[in-house]
Amino acid sequence: MLPQLLISGLALGAAYALVALGFVLVLNASRAVNFAHGDLVAAGGFATVALATLLPVPAILLLPAVLIVMAAVGLAIAALAYFPLSRRPPAALFVSTIAVGLIIRNGLDALFGAAPRAGPPLLGAGLVEIGPAVASRQSIAIIVAAALLIALLWVLLARTRMGKRLRASAEDPEMARALGVPVARMVAFAFALAAALAGAAGLLLANQFFVTPEDGGALMLKAYVAAALGGWGRLAGAVAGALAIAFFEVGVASLLSYPVAEALLYASALAILALRPQGLFPEHAGQRA
Amino acid sequence: MPASAPEPTQDPLRVGAPLAALALALAFALAWGDPYALRLVALSGLVATTALGYQLAFGHAGAISLFQGAAFGLGAYASALLARSVSSELMLTIPAAMLASGLAALMMVPALRRLGAHAFALATLAGAEILRLIAVNWESVTGGANGLAGIPAATLVGVALPRGLPVALVAWALFALAALATRALTRGPFALGLALMREAPLAAEASGIDTAARRLSLFVLSAAIGGAAGALHPFTLGTVSPEAMEIGVMITALVVTVIGGSRRPAGAVLAALLIVHLPEWLRGFEELYLILFGALLLATILFAPEGLVAALEEWLPTRAKEPDLPTPAQEMLAAQPAQRGPLLAIDGIEKRFGGVTALAGVTLAVAAGEILGVIGPNGSGKTTLLNIVGGQTDADAGGLRFIGRDIASPPHRRAAAGIARSFQTPPVVPGLTALDSVAAVAPGFGARMLRTARARALALLDSLGLTERAPEPMTALTPGEARLVDLARALMLRPRLLLLDEPAAGLTDPERTELARGLRRLADHGLALIVVEHDVDFLIPLADRLACLEAGRLIALGAPAAVRQDPKVRAAYFGAAA
Repeated sequence: MLPQLLISGLALGAAYALVALGFVLVLNASRAVNFAHGDLVAAGGFATVALATLLPVPAILLLPAVLIVMAAVGLAIAALAYFPLSRRPPAALFVSTIAVGLIIRNGLDALFGAAPRAGPPLLGAGLVEIGPAVASRQSIAIIVAAALLIALLWVLLARTRMGKRLRASAEDPEMARALGVPVARMVAFAFALAAALAGAAGLLLANQFFVTPEDGGALMLKAYVAAALGGWGRLAGAVAGALAIAFFEVGVASLLSYPVAEALLYASALAILALRPQGLFPEHAGQRA
Repeated sequence: MPASAPEPTQDPLRVGAPLAALALALAFALAWGDPYALRLVALSGLVATTALGYQLAFGHAGAISLFQGAAFGLGAYASALLARSVSSELMLTIPAAMLASGLAALMMVPALRRLGAHAFALATLAGAEILRLIAVNWESVTGGANGLAGIPAATLVGVALPRGLPVALVAWALFALAALATRALTRGPFALGLALMREAPLAAEASGIDTAARRLSLFVLSAAIGGAAGALHPFTLGTVSPEAMEIGVMITALVVTVIGGSRRPAGAVLAALLIVHLPEWLRGFEELYLILFGALLLATILFAPEGLVAALEEWLPTRAKEPDLPTPAQEMLAAQPAQRGPLLAIDGIEKRFGGVTALAGVTLAVAAGEILGVIGPNGSGKTTLLNIVGGQTDADAGGLRFIGRDIASPPHRRAAAGIARSFQTPPVVPGLTALDSVAAVAPGFGARMLRTARARALALLDSLGLTERAPEPMTALTPGEARLVDLARALMLRPRLLLLDEPAAGLTDPERTELARGLRRLADHGLALIVVEHDVDFLIPLADRLACLEAGRLIALGAPAAVRQDPKVRAAYFGAAA
């Protein structure tokens, strides 16, 4: 029982981590929250469902296409809802990205309907035995795929020129601009990267957990809770926060029920914000956007 | 930009158009006698009331909440449960619903206190989601996903209110009541202070405004008003279901607030009628109308940030408004109580930013009636010193005593204790006139207090030679004039100690002479002044004593002429400048 719970918690947490990483990337680069971020996960899930009906192959083969499509959606959001308003007060970005989320959510509803849909498994269905535990192949595949994506992201941010420029412009836009970094392009890059990661999470979640147009709200909230727990603005913290959330959800749901787990999660997040505003895994308290 | 001025214009057309639309909608519903049409008119009233409450948080306090829909839903459930078990008397259910929603919002306050705009929004969404999960899953009480049916008809002071016209009238009466009850909040000095707080939170805080308290109390009040609107919802439909709690209600309140204008009760009327009826006119496009909502929202925020109603009003004929200036108040400065010893004692203040030492043990004192000039090269710690005295920055070590007492920490309490300051970059609130930027820091609610505040503000602007500019919007002022308005704002607090950060920068020569004369007059009235200034020629004739900082250390202190001749000062400051 326990090993199974650990594996499903890890699989869920790995997918949440991709969502939370995108949330924090945009937060750091633009000092703003993209309130359509959760809806991008649903969009990625439906993109996978749609591609799979055209091309019935394992989802892992659809991943590159989903990443590209979603990165384009991220760029479109930046162009439509971020750049025209970047100098306006935070409420303007709040409204514009909520509007985009509304369009995405109801667009998905119009295209695919409100009923839950399942995407194809990453590699294949079935179970595998790992020592005493029996886990679904899908869970293991989710964990491996998400870990690879996170490792790729780390290489991109830490080792490439693009990643270094992105981090520089996120840390101090003025200084980065003075050093010749195209800051606006870096913000657009962050939006694209975040949307691609959200889309990948949608692809990973679409098989076991299904996808509906309404999923975005809860996923957005979980990305926020992960970021708040992990110390606002920290990428590693967001991953830790995402795993903590997933283990909490899976654990409490197995003892009580899923809605109770969700409600308790949000209540605990509010309690932590009140008692320990720097997060659970802080290095230093960051600026709150 | 009159559109964003916190005090609504009195033009009859601007209030008349929404009222006419409402009358038309009621007449239309009455003439057709269709219960469904009446229900939509009632729902519009509830949506308008919810949005009116949301305006207080979103529009006035700049608190981006995502809780307003849940506040509405909680009010609906509270009212429905009371109606089923106790009584459907509105005099009971409406206050109970307001209490429930207000308390739920209040419970979130400890978590929300320190959050910035977007984190605030998400934390309120977490609270809303908890309530929705309870409504859907606590079946024995809430009826679960199906909700509760068979809500008895409402009564108002014992008189039965059947669904249809009576409920529609009560819904709009509730809106009128809420608009009247919040009028004083949205048109007095308090509302001007909110504008200052939205655009320039540092300056608001330094003006004695407890920004967190104002933001959070308006958030709680907005939730209570949302609860009141929700209380009528079960009596409008005869049922209550989780739909009342879902994100759709929140989105509707947001759309109405953005489209109608975020600080316009009349805009809420028009936008609520429009948004509630829009889906009816687009029958057969069920999902598409929600996409249309999204597109409308995006287009409005991009192209008509003050709202569609304000954008339409630009096309309406308006009467030229007379510049409505009050008579300046007589008294400008309160007589300062006598003070023995220094007014402010700064003792061994230290401050480091990362690896950089900004202040390394500075000890200084200022007496009442004294002007202390502070000079020093760039980065010597002058502004940090002002920030530590003003409370914008905390010192790492050292003590501050003001009037013989340790200083309370948050800047707004220091301002209340008598420490006022100006800023190197003066705050410019786009929607405010010069006069209202100064009046904004006065306490009080409502139109009468506003007149008093403006009279005092005008006297201060008068004394700084800005009478002509008082009715101008802040955005039309020169940087030098904005600086003087900022000084007037600081004086509005009737301070005993005034901290000025480069007050002469950007001023013309005649303005400088006028400013120096004004500052001397203030000192003669018994104020203590600390003036940080780059321009030594401005300070030498003005200051009683001059302090020179270099790399966070006090290297000279004394009579201006002596400090100027000090070889250390010449090396650090004049040497560096030349």
